[in-house]
Amino acid sequence: MNGQMGNAALRHRNRIRNGSRVADAIICCVSAVLCFITLYPMYYILVLSLSSPQAAATMKVYFVPDGLYLDSYAMLVKNSQIWRAYGNTLIYVSSELVLRLVSCLLMAYPLTVKGLRGRKFVVIYLLIPMYFGGGMIPNYLLITKLGMYNTMWALIIPGAISIWHIILMRTYLTSLPDSLRESAFIDGANHFQVLAYIYTPVVKPIIAVISIYTIVGVWNSWFSSMIYQTNTKIQPLQMYLRRVLVDMEVDISSVKSGMTMDEIAAAVKQNQLAHQIRYSMIIFTTLPVLFTYPFFQKHFVKGVMLGSLKE
Amino acid sequence: MDRKEILKKSKRRRILREHAQLYGMMAPVLIHIFIFSYVPLYGILIAFQDYFPGASFLSFSGNTHWVGLKHLYKFVNSIYFGRLLGNTIRLSLLNLAFGFWIPIAFALLVNEIPYRKYKKFVQTASYLPHFISTVIVAGMVLSFVSKDGLVNSVLSVFGVKAQAWNVKAKAFPTIYTTTNVWKSFGWGAILYLSSISSIDPNLYEATRIDGANRWQQMIHITVPLIKNTIAINLIMSIGGILGANSELILLLYNANVYKTADVFGTYVYREGLLSGSFSFGTMVGLFTQIINFTLVFGANWLSNKLTDFGLW
Repeated sequence: MNGQMGNAALRHRNRIRNGSRVADAIICCVSAVLCFITLYPMYYILVLSLSSPQAAATMKVYFVPDGLYLDSYAMLVKNSQIWRAYGNTLIYVSSELVLRLVSCLLMAYPLTVKGLRGRKFVVIYLLIPMYFGGGMIPNYLLITKLGMYNTMWALIIPGAISIWHIILMRTYLTSLPDSLRESAFIDGANHFQVLAYIYTPVVKPIIAVISIYTIVGVWNSWFSSMIYQTNTKIQPLQMYLRRVLVDMEVDISSVKSGMTMDEIAAAVKQNQLAHQIRYSMIIFTTLPVLFTYPFFQKHFVKGVMLGSLKE
Repeated sequence: MDRKEILKKSKRRRILREHAQLYGMMAPVLIHIFIFSYVPLYGILIAFQDYFPGASFLSFSGNTHWVGLKHLYKFVNSIYFGRLLGNTIRLSLLNLAFGFWIPIAFALLVNEIPYRKYKKFVQTASYLPHFISTVIVAGMVLSFVSKDGLVNSVLSVFGVKAQAWNVKAKAFPTIYTTTNVWKSFGWGAILYLSSISSIDPNLYEATRIDGANRWQQMIHITVPLIKNTIAINLIMSIGGILGANSELILLLYNANVYKTADVFGTYVYREGLLSGSFSFGTMVGLFTQIINFTLVFGANWLSNKLTDFGLW
């Protein structure tokens, strides 16, 4: 790693002597435009969420909020549905995290033992489902038959194992020296002990990679819930967001005939707030990810690299 | 029995015990995979039956109503088939046309940025959309393309009349492709950037002494050396041609734009699951899977032929 950094630094220095100033300027400008394109939509939503409800409803503020209005955030915090959905997502994320890590270790470790009988078959057994799947409907029927339909288990149990993560873990474990295991055997340890006390502590980097993939993946997933859960009380956050942001199920047509002027004004304001709450909701539910991903990105990048290794 | 044989036997017994332990370790996972990956595979059988909910996938009591390829014929001859095939291929090809080269170009661009901190910032910023959930991205896009939205504000500068783009069938392919590319180009560039960073800097040094400029270095060193990475990604993308991102489409589309937005994946969901035509839906899913797999194999074969490089 150090050597690579050194090389990069070397090339870096060469580059500055190498390229022309004009080319540098063009490169920097083009990449600045690309950055603007990736960052601006999110920034725009932030501006809308902080502006006055009137301005947010017409979407006509672009760079600076016209004041600081936090009414929609206040409404959001008082909304019990969103907290329940948040709680559900936390349950799903934490249970998947534990289950996937344990299953990855239990499955990947034996595959690294040299001379394990039938190892080839086990690997093929793992690889087939990566290329062929039953598809949406057989899966749905299976979940129904197992009695998991419309329960939290419908998301937790099928997602407990990720074959792709098992293969990542195996790739990493194979890179560890055999002597690590041999020395423990000489001391009389069995495989369970080796896995628990010798391997688990040294695989922290890959555990970080798998954990982050799992957290982000489960946090953002909604499709299985849409198929397997109709009860809104057990649905994760993304399903709640889908109802509000995509299906627009929040009632915004509250102006009725026979209202006094004051009532209409109040209803219109309510209406605008209901519009704005969508933007606040986007910010409110994305912040945890936005603040953390820059710190975790090196792990992500490592995962992409490990995953791309040719078997 | 002599000593040697006894020793051999006890060693074999020890290995057997050891392997039993290892298989015991794997057992929960193996069973889970059997239930949740192989049983659904076996469930594909219902594509060849007239399955009714509640029946078992396969019974020998004569209850199973085998119909052979009836559902396949029905699908291929249905009025939706042409539209679905057209939409799926159009959306995927658009995605391939832009989503494939943009990450490569972006990686090459980022690699040329002379300031280290700025380079890092650009890269980090480009990952951002990857971490925003599809639901939120779809929600944002839907509000941008609405009548009061950002897209109309920008277009009004060019004198285009404001309209609700989300119900315009013609606009859907553009909206879908832009969203997809926006969400994934930075992430897609990671692989290229890391293979670029493993190129030996001496190569650049040598060509510079020979008088190569930056552009020539990029064309004659960087690009040829990341060719393999490009080939892998191309094979994978070709394999996904019938697997248009139906999760995103399900969120973005509405009945007004089915004409250009409905693809195999969304059709399986609506026809198979929502309307309960389980056998028919499974057949549609199986059909797309087989074609996809054939395409991956074909692309891989071609890549092996042309560049001596492939996934297998």
